[in-house]
Amino acid sequence: MSKAAKIALGVLALLLIALPWLLDPYRLQIAILTVTYSMLGLAFAFSLRVGLPRLDIAGWWGVGAYATALLMQRADMSFWLAMLIAGIIAVILGWLVFIIAMPRGMIVFLLFGMVLAMAFYQLFGSLEFFGGWGGTGIIPQPTIGSFTFANKPELYYLGLFFLAVNLLVYYLLYNSKIGRAWNAIGSSLKLASSVGVNVVRYRMANVLIGNFFIAMAGSYYVAYSLVAVPSAFGFNFSVYILIYAVIGGFLHSLAGPILGAAIVTYASEYLRVVQEYEPIVTAAVVILVIIFMPMGILGLIDRRVKPWLVHRKLYAWLRKGGGKGEGEVSA
Amino acid sequence: MEKGKGRFLHNWIFIEQRVGGKLGVALLELKNVGKNFGKLQAVSNLDLIINKGEIHGLIGPNGAGKTTVFNLITGTLPATSGNIVFNGEDITRLAPHAVAQRGIARSFQQTFLFTFSTVLENVLIGFHMNLQAGSLKEFLHTPASREADREAREQALEIIDFMGLSAQKYELAGNLPHGYQRALGVSIALACNPTLLLLDEPVTGMNPVETTDMVERIRKIRDKGITIVVVEHSMKVVMDVSDRITVLNYGRKIAEGLPDDIKKNKEVIEAYLGEDESDAA
Repeated sequence: MSKAAKIALGVLALLLIALPWLLDPYRLQIAILTVTYSMLGLAFAFSLRVGLPRLDIAGWWGVGAYATALLMQRADMSFWLAMLIAGIIAVILGWLVFIIAMPRGMIVFLLFGMVLAMAFYQLFGSLEFFGGWGGTGIIPQPTIGSFTFANKPELYYLGLFFLAVNLLVYYLLYNSKIGRAWNAIGSSLKLASSVGVNVVRYRMANVLIGNFFIAMAGSYYVAYSLVAVPSAFGFNFSVYILIYAVIGGFLHSLAGPILGAAIVTYASEYLRVVQEYEPIVTAAVVILVIIFMPMGILGLIDRRVKPWLVHRKLYAWLRKGGGKGEGEVSA
Repeated sequence: MEKGKGRFLHNWIFIEQRVGGKLGVALLELKNVGKNFGKLQAVSNLDLIINKGEIHGLIGPNGAGKTTVFNLITGTLPATSGNIVFNGEDITRLAPHAVAQRGIARSFQQTFLFTFSTVLENVLIGFHMNLQAGSLKEFLHTPASREADREAREQALEIIDFMGLSAQKYELAGNLPHGYQRALGVSIALACNPTLLLLDEPVTGMNPVETTDMVERIRKIRDKGITIVVVEHSMKVVMDVSDRITVLNYGRKIAEGLPDDIKKNKEVIEAYLGEDESDAA
C-alpha cells in the first residue's frame, strides 16, 4: 500500500469515528443502517469470490437476528453469548442445508438460496415459536458490565467495531492460502480442480464463514432495533444486497460493497418521495449503472481516474511493485 | 474394428515396454475402460498402459475420443465401465482434485487460465497443494508461512523461466498472446509437481518456432523424470516427440507401437493419415 493510500485510509477512519458529532440523530440512524448493510454486502462479495452469487443473505440475516433475540428473551442470555450462539446456529444450519446444494454447482446454489430466503421469511412469520408476523417483542439492550448500548452514537460505534472485525478477517482470508484457492475457483473452476483444489469443500468453507458474519450482522440489527420482525428479512432485501456489490464494483471485495451500501442507503432515504415506486426507480438506476459502468464505481475509478491521476508509465511501474521486483497486482 | 483391436492390443504392450533403454514399469493403466454419452460410445473397451518415464502420444481423427480419455483419467468425467489404476491405486471414481493430489496434472485443449491474475500468480496457484504451511499459520502470516511462500515463489519463477515466460511474468494472463497462454497452461500443470503430465494439444495454434521450442521443452520435462501423455493433432509433432504412440478411432484403440511402426500401419493410414495427407507430411 502506498503512503498516499495509507493517509487517505487514516483520514477516512477518523471521519468515520467523528461521524456522531457531524450528523444529526436521523442521519446517524442512516449511518447505522449503512454499517449493517455493508456487512451483508461484504458477505455477498465474499461468496462471489468462489463464483457463488447468494440470494439467501436476508434469510440468514434473519436467522442471526431471531436467534439472538430469542436467546436473549427466553434464555436470558447476554447479547454477546447470544450473538456467538446465533453465529454457530447459522453455520450449522447452513452446513446441513448446503451439503445438498453445493456439489451441484452455481445455478442450483443460486435457486436453492432464493427458495431458502423465501422459506425463512415464511417460517418467521407463520410459526408461533418465532412470535408470528408481529415479531419477537422487545428484547433487552446489549450491555458490557454496567454500560448499556442505549444511544445512537454508542450503537454506531458497536457497529463500526463489528464492521472492522469483518474487514480484518476478510482481508486476512483473501491474502492467505485459502484466499488464493478461492480466487482460483472464482476465475476457473476446471483449472482449479485440475491443480488439486477441492472445489466443493472450499466453497462450503467460504459460504459458512459468510454465514457466521451474516448472523453477526443480524445480532447487530437486533441490538439497535430491539425486535426481530419477519418483514425486515424478506427476499426482496437479498436483491438489494446484490445491488450494493454491483454499484460499488464487485471486483473490489472490501471497499465495493461498503461504498455501494452507503450510496444506496442514503439515496433510498431521498427516494421516499416516490413512495411505492421506489423499487422501480432503484431498478432503473441499477440498469443504467450496469450499462455505463459495468464494473461499478470503483471499477470506473480504476479504469478512468487512476491512469489519469498518475502518469501511465509510473502507474505501470507501481503495478510491478514499485521496482521491488516483487510484482503483485492485488485483486 | 474388432479385428484391429485384437491384432494390436496385447502383442504390442509387452514388446514395447522397453523404451529408450529403460525397462518400462506401468505408471498408469486403463483396463477395459468405456464411456457412453447416452447411446453414443465415446470410448469403448480401451486398454492402455503408460510406462514410467515415456512420452506417450495419443492420436486419432477428430472425435476419436482423445480428450475424453484425458477427462476419464482426471476424473472430470466418470467412466461408464472399466478401471483406471495409477501407481497401483484405483483412481476410477476419484474427483478431479483428488486425482490431481495424487500427481496427475493436465493442460487443457481450450486454454483455461486465471485471466485476471498475473503469470506468476497463475503458477503460484498451481503450487497450492504443495505449500506445507498449515492453513491457520498461513492465515496469521507467520514467518514460517512467509518462508514457504517465498520458496514457492522461487520455484514458480524457475518454472516460468523454463517455459520461456520470464519477460511476461507480471503480465495479466488474459493479455498474453495465444502461444504464451498455452505455455502458461503447461507451467501451471508443472507447478503441481506431477508424476504424470497430460498435455492436450500443447502446440495447437503455435507458430513453427514456438512449436519447436515446446517440443524441446516436452522432452526436457520427460528428462526430469515426469511421464507425459500428449494428445496432438499435428502428426509431425507427435511422431517427433513420442516414444510410443496409441491410435484411437471412434473410441477404440486401433494401433499401438513405436512411431515408425505406426507410420507404416495400414489401418492407421486408412483411418487417419489417408484422410488428411498434408498433416502427415
